[in-house]
Amino acid sequence: MSTSRARTRLLTSGATAVVAVAALLLTGCSSSGGAASGSSSSSSSAGSTSAADTSGGGSGASGSGGGITVWVDAPRVPAVQAFEKAHPEIPVKMVQNDGTIGGQSTKQAFANFDAAGSGWPDAIFFTSNDDIAWATSSQSNYAANLSAVPELADVIKGYDPATISFCNIGGQIRCLRNDAAPDVFWYDAKFFKDNNYTVPKSWEDYFTLAIKIAKDHPGKISGFLGDAYAVNRYLQAANCPTNSPKSETEIVLNPQNPNCTKIGQLLDQAYQAKALSPLGVFDADAVKASANLVMTPGALWYGSYLLQATWKVPAGNWTASDPLTWDGKPSMGDEGGGLWGMSSHVTGKEKENTITFMKFVATDPAWQVDLSTGLPAYGPDQDPWLAKFGTDGYYSNLDQLKAAFKASLAAVAPYQYMLYDTGNIWTQTVPTTLTSGGTMSAALTKFFSTLTDQAKSIGYTISAG
Amino acid sequence: MTATTTLPAVAPAVRPRGRRHRLSSRETVGGWLLSAPYILLFLAAAAIPIVFAVWKSLQKPSTILRPQGGFGGLDAYKSAVTDYRFWDTFKNIGIVMAVWLPIMLIGVIGLALLIHASPGRFGSVMRFVYYIPGALSGIANFMLWVYLINPSISPISWLWTTLGETTIKDATNPFNVPFILAAMLFFQGVGTWVVIVNGGLNGLPEEVFEAGSLDGANAWQVAWHVKLPMIRPWIGYAALMNIAYGFQLFMEPYLLQQVSAGAMQTEYTPTQLTFAFAFTNRNLPAAAAMSVILLVVTLAIGVLTVFRSGLFGEKEAR
Repeated sequence: MSTSRARTRLLTSGATAVVAVAALLLTGCSSSGGAASGSSSSSSSAGSTSAADTSGGGSGASGSGGGITVWVDAPRVPAVQAFEKAHPEIPVKMVQNDGTIGGQSTKQAFANFDAAGSGWPDAIFFTSNDDIAWATSSQSNYAANLSAVPELADVIKGYDPATISFCNIGGQIRCLRNDAAPDVFWYDAKFFKDNNYTVPKSWEDYFTLAIKIAKDHPGKISGFLGDAYAVNRYLQAANCPTNSPKSETEIVLNPQNPNCTKIGQLLDQAYQAKALSPLGVFDADAVKASANLVMTPGALWYGSYLLQATWKVPAGNWTASDPLTWDGKPSMGDEGGGLWGMSSHVTGKEKENTITFMKFVATDPAWQVDLSTGLPAYGPDQDPWLAKFGTDGYYSNLDQLKAAFKASLAAVAPYQYMLYDTGNIWTQTVPTTLTSGGTMSAALTKFFSTLTDQAKSIGYTISAG
Repeated sequence: MTATTTLPAVAPAVRPRGRRHRLSSRETVGGWLLSAPYILLFLAAAAIPIVFAVWKSLQKPSTILRPQGGFGGLDAYKSAVTDYRFWDTFKNIGIVMAVWLPIMLIGVIGLALLIHASPGRFGSVMRFVYYIPGALSGIANFMLWVYLINPSISPISWLWTTLGETTIKDATNPFNVPFILAAMLFFQGVGTWVVIVNGGLNGLPEEVFEAGSLDGANAWQVAWHVKLPMIRPWIGYAALMNIAYGFQLFMEPYLLQQVSAGAMQTEYTPTQLTFAFAFTNRNLPAAAAMSVILLVVTLAIGVLTVFRSGLFGEKEAR
C-alpha cells in the first residue's frame, strides 16, 4: 500500500469517525436532556397542564375573550379553585408548576419566554421568593408595577409596609404578598416549666440557655441549622447583610461585619455544645430529631405545619413568645411567605381579569381566611384568620402566642431577595461542612466565600459596607 | 497455547476489502436516498445546533444584570473557564468516571462473557435478570435510589450505619456522591450493555471457539484469548457511549441534589453549570462556550476511543 493511499484512507476513516462520534454524542445529549425536562414537569398532577407544554398559552394570545393563565404550586391550587367559584365568568387556565423551593424549572421557563417574547402566564405564585429578583430585573421585567394599577391602590394600602417590603423594588410595588411569615420564638412551655427555665428575651439569652440545656439534658436541641431558611432565622435576624442591595447591580457583603462575626461566634459555641442540629427543618430525618427539640426561633407557620402536622409533637406543650432582641431591638428573620406576581405583558380584557384575580388571591377571605394555612399578609384579613387559629387546643397559652404573632410582624429585619439563591448556597455549604466534621465557623467561611463567588458570577459588584 | 494466540488474526472485523469500482448513477441515487433521513436529522439535531453554539459562544458574555451584545471574541470562553465552579465540575465528573467506567466495562464484559459461556435456559434467564434494572425508566429507577441512599429507610441501612451515616445529608456527603452516582449509573446501564455485547458475541462464528477448544483451550482461555479480542469493537462502542453519557450527566445529580435536602452542589457537573449559565445568569454566550468545550473534550476522547478499539475496523484504523 503506497503512503499516499494509506493517508487518504486514514483521513477518510478519520472524518467518518468524527462525524459518527459527534452523532453518537448528540444522541446521548438529547436523551439525557429529555429526561431532565421530563423530571421538571413530573410533579404536576393530573388535571392541570404541566409547565412544560404551555407555550403560547399565556398572554401572547391577548384579546381572546379574557381567559387568563395562572401558574401556581400545589398548596395554592385551592386559591385558584376558590377564584373560579367566585368568578365563574372568567375562564382560568391553571398550570401547576414545580413547587420545590430553589427549584430551577420556573426560572428556566421564564428565561425562554423572555427570549421568545411570548408565552408568559398572566399571573404567578412564585415558587421561591428569590424569583422576584429576576422577575423585576430590567432584562426580564416580567412582574408588572402594581403601584401603577389604580384598581390595586386600596389593596396595597391594606398591607403593613414591613410586610410588603419584599415587593417594594426601588419604590414600586411589584408583587402582592400572600402570607406573612415572620419568625417568633417557639418553645416547649411544659419543658420550661418542669425545669424552671426562663424564656429568653434576647438572642444572647437564647444561645446561653441553649448551651445550658444541652449540658443539663444531653441530647436536647434548641434549633436546626441545615435548611435554606436558617440564613433568615439566624443571619437576617442578626442584621448580618447577605441580601442588601445598594443599587440594582451593587450589594453589601462582608463576613467581617460586626453583626456577622457576632452571630457566627454565637452559632459556633452553641453548635460545639451540641445545642443545634445540622439537620434542616424539612429533612425527613428532622421528624425523629424533633422529639428532642425544646425551643427554636421559627416562622409562625412552624406551629401548624411543622410541630403539629409534620413532626407530630404532642398537643398542649408548645407556644410562642415575643421576638428576641438584637442590640436591644426586637429583630427576627422571615421564612418564606409567598408572593403573587402579575405579568407586565398582559393587556385589554385579560389585564382587567388578571387584576381581579390578583385582588382575589391577595385579599379575599374565601381564600385568605378560610383556606390559607399562613397568616394573611393583607392586614384586614389577619384578625379574622387569628380568630380561627388554634381553636383545636393544640397550643399552650394561645393568647400569648397570638400576641407574639402580631408583635413579630414589625420585628422583621431588612432583607431583599437577590438574583443569587442565598438559602441554596447555605444548604450546599453549611450542613455539608458540619456533617463532615467541620466547625460552624469553618462552615460560615465557606458560605460567605461561595456567596461572594456566586454574586460575582451573576455580575454584582460587592462592597464591604 | 501457541495455537490460540494466533487465532484472532483470522477473525476480527471481517470486512470484504474488495476492489473499488465506480458506482452507477442508480446506486448513487439509492445511496443518497437511504442516507437522506439520517443527513436531515444530523443537520437538524447536530450540525446546525453546533454551528449556532459556536456562533453564540463568540458573542460578548452578558448576565441578567449586565446585558450586552455583539462580537466578543473569546470573552465568553474566558467567562466560562474563570467561573469559580468550572474546574470543580470537571474534577467531579472525572472522579465519577474514574469510579464508574472501569466497574461498568469490567462488569459488562464479564457478565456478557459469563452469559455467553452458559448457553441455554440459564444464560437467557440471567440475561433477562441483568436487564431488569435498566428497563426501569429513569424516574422510577431514581425513586428506588432515593430509598436506597436514605439511611433511615434503606434496606441496606446496615451499610450506611457501618459507614457512620445516619441521615440522607450524611449519606450524600461530597466523598460518597461519586460512588452513589457510579452505582446508579452502573445498575441503570449494565443490563442494556450486557445485552448489546452479548449480541456481539452471538454474532461470532462458533467454529472459531470450537477450533480453540480442539487446540486445548479451556472455557476461560477461549473467553480471554478468543472471544475478548473479537468483541473489541463492541467494547469500544460501549466505552464511547458511556463516556459520552458520563460527560453529559445531568438528571442524576440534579435529582440527587433535590432529595439530599440541598446538601449537594447545584452545579456538580459541567452540564449543570451550563444550565446555570443559561438560566440563572442568563449568560447564553458562556453556556454556548461550555457546550463547545464539552463537545471538543468528548469528541477528542471519542475519536481516541474509536481508534484504540478499532470500532470502524481494525485494519483501516491503524
